[in-house]
Amino acid sequence: MPRRVAAQTAVQHGMSNISLFLILLAPFAGIFAVSVAAGFSRSLGAWAAGASMAAGLVAALQLAPQVFSGSVVLWRVAWLPEWGLDFALRLDGLGLLFVVLILGIGLLIVLYAAYYMPQTDNLGRFYIALLGFAGGMLGIVLAENILLMVVFWEVTSLTSFLLIAYKYADVEARIAARLSLAMTGGGGLALLAGALLLGHVAGSYDFSVIEDRAGLVRDNALYPVILILFLLGAFTKSAQFPFHVWLPHAMAAPTPVSAYLHSATMVKAGVFLLARMYPILAGTELWFVIVSTTGAITFLYGAYIALLKHDLKGLLAYSTISHLGLITLLFGLDTPLAAIAGVFHIINHAIFKASLFMAAGIIDHETGTRDMRRMAGLFKAMPRTAILGILAAASMAGVPLLNGFLSKEMFFTATVAHPGFENAIYLLPAFATIAGMLSVAYSVRFVHDVFFDGPVKKTPKVPHEPPVWMRLPIEVLVGLVLIVGFLPQLSVGPILHTAAEAVLPGPVPDIKLAVWHGFNLPLVMTIMAFGLGILQFSRRHKLYALRDRFAFALTSPVAFERFYRAAARLSTALLAFADTQSLQRYLALFFSFAVIAGVWAWVRIDLTGGGATVLTGPLPILAVDATAVVAAATLVFAALGTVVFRHDRLKALIYMSVAGTVVSLAFLRFHAPDLAMTQLSVEVVTILLLLMCLRYLPERSARQSTTGRRMRDGLLATAAGTGVAALTYAMLTRPYETIAAYHMANAKPLGGGTNVVNVILVDFRGYDTLGEIAVLAMAALGLHALLSGTRMQGPGGPTLASADRYPIMLAELMRPLLPLSLAVAAYIFLRGHNLPGGGFIAGLVAAVALVLQYVAQGTDFAGERLRINTVRLLGIGLGIATLTGVASFVFGYPFLTSTHGYVTPPVIDKFELASAIAFDLGVFLVVIGTVLLALTELAGLRRAEDVAVPAKGDA
Amino acid sequence: METLAAFAPALPEIILAAGAMVFLMLGVFSADNARTGVFIGWLTVLLMAGVAIMIGTGGAERVELFDGAFVVDAFSRFCKVLILGAAAVSLMLSFGYFERERIMKFEIPVLALLSTVGMFMMVSANDLISLYLGLELMSLALYVLAAVHRDSLRSSESGLKYFVLGALSSGMLLYGASLIYGFTGTTSFTALASTLQAGEAAQNLGLIVGLVFLLVGLAFKISAVPFHMWTPDVYEGAPTPVTAFFAGAPKVAAMALLLRVLHDAFPGMLFQWQQIIVFLSVASMLLGSFAAIGQTSIKRLMAFSSIANVGFILIGLAAGTQYGVSSVLIYLAIYVVMTLGSFAVVLAMRRANEMDETIGSLAGLSQTNLPLAVAFAALLFSLAGIPPLAGFFAKFYVLDAAIKAGLTPLAIIGVLASVVGAFYYLRLVKIMFFDAPGEAFTQAEPAVRWVFTLSALLVTFYVVYPAFLLDAAGTAARALVP
Repeated sequence: MPRRVAAQTAVQHGMSNISLFLILLAPFAGIFAVSVAAGFSRSLGAWAAGASMAAGLVAALQLAPQVFSGSVVLWRVAWLPEWGLDFALRLDGLGLLFVVLILGIGLLIVLYAAYYMPQTDNLGRFYIALLGFAGGMLGIVLAENILLMVVFWEVTSLTSFLLIAYKYADVEARIAARLSLAMTGGGGLALLAGALLLGHVAGSYDFSVIEDRAGLVRDNALYPVILILFLLGAFTKSAQFPFHVWLPHAMAAPTPVSAYLHSATMVKAGVFLLARMYPILAGTELWFVIVSTTGAITFLYGAYIALLKHDLKGLLAYSTISHLGLITLLFGLDTPLAAIAGVFHIINHAIFKASLFMAAGIIDHETGTRDMRRMAGLFKAMPRTAILGILAAASMAGVPLLNGFLSKEMFFTATVAHPGFENAIYLLPAFATIAGMLSVAYSVRFVHDVFFDGPVKKTPKVPHEPPVWMRLPIEVLVGLVLIVGFLPQLSVGPILHTAAEAVLPGPVPDIKLAVWHGFNLPLVMTIMAFGLGILQFSRRHKLYALRDRFAFALTSPVAFERFYRAAARLSTALLAFADTQSLQRYLALFFSFAVIAGVWAWVRIDLTGGGATVLTGPLPILAVDATAVVAAATLVFAALGTVVFRHDRLKALIYMSVAGTVVSLAFLRFHAPDLAMTQLSVEVVTILLLLMCLRYLPERSARQSTTGRRMRDGLLATAAGTGVAALTYAMLTRPYETIAAYHMANAKPLGGGTNVVNVILVDFRGYDTLGEIAVLAMAALGLHALLSGTRMQGPGGPTLASADRYPIMLAELMRPLLPLSLAVAAYIFLRGHNLPGGGFIAGLVAAVALVLQYVAQGTDFAGERLRINTVRLLGIGLGIATLTGVASFVFGYPFLTSTHGYVTPPVIDKFELASAIAFDLGVFLVVIGTVLLALTELAGLRRAEDVAVPAKGDA
Repeated sequence: METLAAFAPALPEIILAAGAMVFLMLGVFSADNARTGVFIGWLTVLLMAGVAIMIGTGGAERVELFDGAFVVDAFSRFCKVLILGAAAVSLMLSFGYFERERIMKFEIPVLALLSTVGMFMMVSANDLISLYLGLELMSLALYVLAAVHRDSLRSSESGLKYFVLGALSSGMLLYGASLIYGFTGTTSFTALASTLQAGEAAQNLGLIVGLVFLLVGLAFKISAVPFHMWTPDVYEGAPTPVTAFFAGAPKVAAMALLLRVLHDAFPGMLFQWQQIIVFLSVASMLLGSFAAIGQTSIKRLMAFSSIANVGFILIGLAAGTQYGVSSVLIYLAIYVVMTLGSFAVVLAMRRANEMDETIGSLAGLSQTNLPLAVAFAALLFSLAGIPPLAGFFAKFYVLDAAIKAGLTPLAIIGVLASVVGAFYYLRLVKIMFFDAPGEAFTQAEPAVRWVFTLSALLVTFYVVYPAFLLDAAGTAARALVP
């Protein structure tokens, strides 16, 4: 009983349990053995593969007595204990049953494949994939930790991909492999999610622990999600409708692969999962409805399609689907008897289906075709194989004295004894009979069409018996069919009992496996199924005609490929929208999402406390007067003008300068004359430099946008602007602490100046200013590096007479203005520490005066007279500023400490002098240097253009 | 001298910054050729390795510097070592490529070094101002690196796009930071955390908008959808080694910064930011996965894959727990290995001197260059999250963290997105192993071969000894979320 696990754990940690690990290790060790051995010879590789399978089987049989005594063998290595991942293995009845099936049939497949596969193939790759797959399967059935099980689950998905795509030159095989990987791999991921959830709910990933808390899991709100995720995993793997599509196409694999994957292993992993999870997840209405319905549909559908298939392996594939449906249905019926029947049928189906696949492989191998319409009367050509095939098919149909009969009888009994369907007690038995009838029909068809049906037809190869060793695996399996069929209680009774103990949460009912149960309802159903089945078979041609009339063109690989292409198309379409590689589109998207994010934040606010206080803070709003209105109106007007006339560059510039002027006036109004002066002079310099640039640009810029786009951009800009304005409003109406008071109080005593802004610039924040002028100088140098020697190929300037180019009045007016402006600059510079002014503004004023000379009299005239090395000027300015800072080290103060005192130079009156003034001089020089450098470089461009013309002519 | 000794915890940053300037001078006054570039490149790699050893062997206790604007702890230590590793490896990958393209300038390693200093600042930032400082130092260097191939139209275009959008996102971030400052009166993470504990933060419009804009700026840096637009263009346009650099170290730094900001400064607003992160995560996973399917260029595919991966990393962040943080760090470490390995493979996709970065050119690689195909397949399987490769564990940890934090729907979307992701990764495997082979690639240089071999081995054998990474990430996470 599973309940004994905890008690047994302590006892079971003996040395022998290492065998449990050896079972799992055997196939993986075999991979290395094969990869070495196959290099020597083909048969050595086969021996290595067989030996590793056999070794695993021996290790498992060694543990069998322990399992039969009713205990669960556990083996555990702490791997990541704190993450709930242990490398924990368990062997119970169910596990043992599967281990024997996997390794036993695996051993036979190794032998069979050695003869089936072409002699040119050295089989190394085949056996490696096969062993990897067997290892994965063993991992699934032996895992104690459910996450470990998921890991091995994916191993089987991957290795089955390799096995199905073994003949990779074949397009069909590749598509089939991809289809099966997509289905089973996807199911595996669902399973992973389910396992994570289950572990979360149960508080452990250990199967034994979860089993003890099964009630907890079933009562949890997440139970339906867990169940569906697990079932997705099981149904995709076990090819349940509608996830069955991959299985028929996986027949593109070599027959040994099909025989292995679709009898005892791959597809059985799904039903194994159902059996394993039965004590945990079963017992609810939901389980019953989903599992039994899916199983029933698959059972019937598979059987029906199997009858219509002309391809030998196709018939077997659909019959496999049908039988898996039957097993699923049995677990879904959710009664102890049905569950035991399910386990029993797993064994029986594995045995007869493996032998049928191998028989089909022999027929294919010996005749060269798999089409049942092209073969007949093979009984004469290969009587031994025919007898084996007939026996296996009879078992599939459920003929008495063979093993298939027993589990089918159990199934019929379970349907009759099922407590559900009170009002329709005959519904389930009737369904079972119909499905049984179809199985009989396709089994009969297999036997009739292949082995009888007249004389031998002409097939690509002349059929004869296969080599003895190739037939041996089938003989062994058919032998088992007979033994189980005759002596069920003696042969499979014990293992079925222990497996049932592992599956059923409660006590195992006493089941008697006997060939003869007396004349009862199930036997009547069997007889009806046979009668109807043979009748159905005799009228099969009507069914074919019907099928041909309504041929369903959309086969699943086609559908899959279409889906695949559709996904690629969807992706491309998505990209066309989301990934246009257009910067404009990116920016629009960026802003849209920024606006959405802002709106989201608004929506997040709980407005129950009154919406008004969210936006407006406690500070009073200043009164609005006429000046403010006019200024604001001008600002808006100028901004709009810039936008409207953006194509007419000159006009746009003028509007921009208006906006700049209003901004500097606004500074003045808020009592910041320093800022106002700075803003004004910066405005003048930038506008002048921009005017100079206009020379190289066409008068009007080209239209680069459509109306729709402009609308979109306008909307976005408005939305973003409104949001920013609202936030600014919210922020300005809230009280805030400033550091202004500190600066106001300390500018005079500490910095020796009354102009707080200037003191901040050159003293308190002198380090910042030093950094800024360094950046300014670097920007100027960058400009220098970019523009010096650049030849611009702009449109030629307007051809005007030189007299008109530089109006004489302007030129004459400018000349006397220069010394005057320079004097003003010097004045502003000197008074800067106490009154509005300072190095920065003075530098700009002086620069404006010089720029005006260029504008009024041309670069040739001005350039000849103004021979200053601007780069050197920058260096000198930076040097002075830095030296001022360093000088304080000499006096033992930190960098840039300033001092101040009073000097009384001749002529001028008593004058307060701070050491910061030297620093300010540095600022002054850097500003002048930067502007002049920009100016001369821009002016130099034009000349380069003139020079470029003849150069172009040469080329 | 005590004042100087107090700066000792910032020694790695100081060494790197000083190194960058020394190398710059060294380069300026040496011959202007590729040899100088490679020489300085190797010097940079050595410096990075030295600093990594210094950090790795140094202490891990929390130290605050510069008036609390800069913090050194186990978390920053973990991220810095990861950043240095990623940066140094991608630099090593780059030399051969740049020499062949004749753009091996000494500025490239210097820029990489400068951006690394920026990343260090980001990881150690404990103040909105140092955050911005670090971010911009990194970004400015990256803008230049993206456009380093000046003669290539694509490279210049991508650099320009990156710059415009990057500047915009920096603006957003600054705007957000200034709003946060405006409404709380502080920029220090520590002070913010204590101010916001009051619980009234959720009602404060300015704060929420500020947080949102801050996140917008950071989402851009980690290229989370919908602020990802630059990624495919830059990945494709930039020279491949630069792309490798972009995909590694800066992602780690930005993600670390995001972790630090959200957990150190805004633990009180978990409910608000969790929703944003969940949205970013879902959008990134879905768009990244679906858009990758239709790609023909492997670099663009990697770009979308990185977007999808960022979505996964954000799952761990959304959890908002200590476990979530450590899952993010583990994911980052594994992701860096996978990405660098993949880019090493892309760098190996060269015939004579012609790079061929289309997916089609991988056809039948298993028959022309089996080691490369096997290594790439291992990396792709890992990226697809197939057990028992490292990528599976990365995904497992974040999904587990999300489920433990009650974000089950997010975890389920994550699983579904990884199904789609597996689809296009496995498509590459199929092309490499089952399609008819084309012309063989030219033998790659040793550095490239080493990187893809080592990373493939790392993702394959991570499962054998995962404890090292788990412990390191756990310690780092405890430093951030006690």
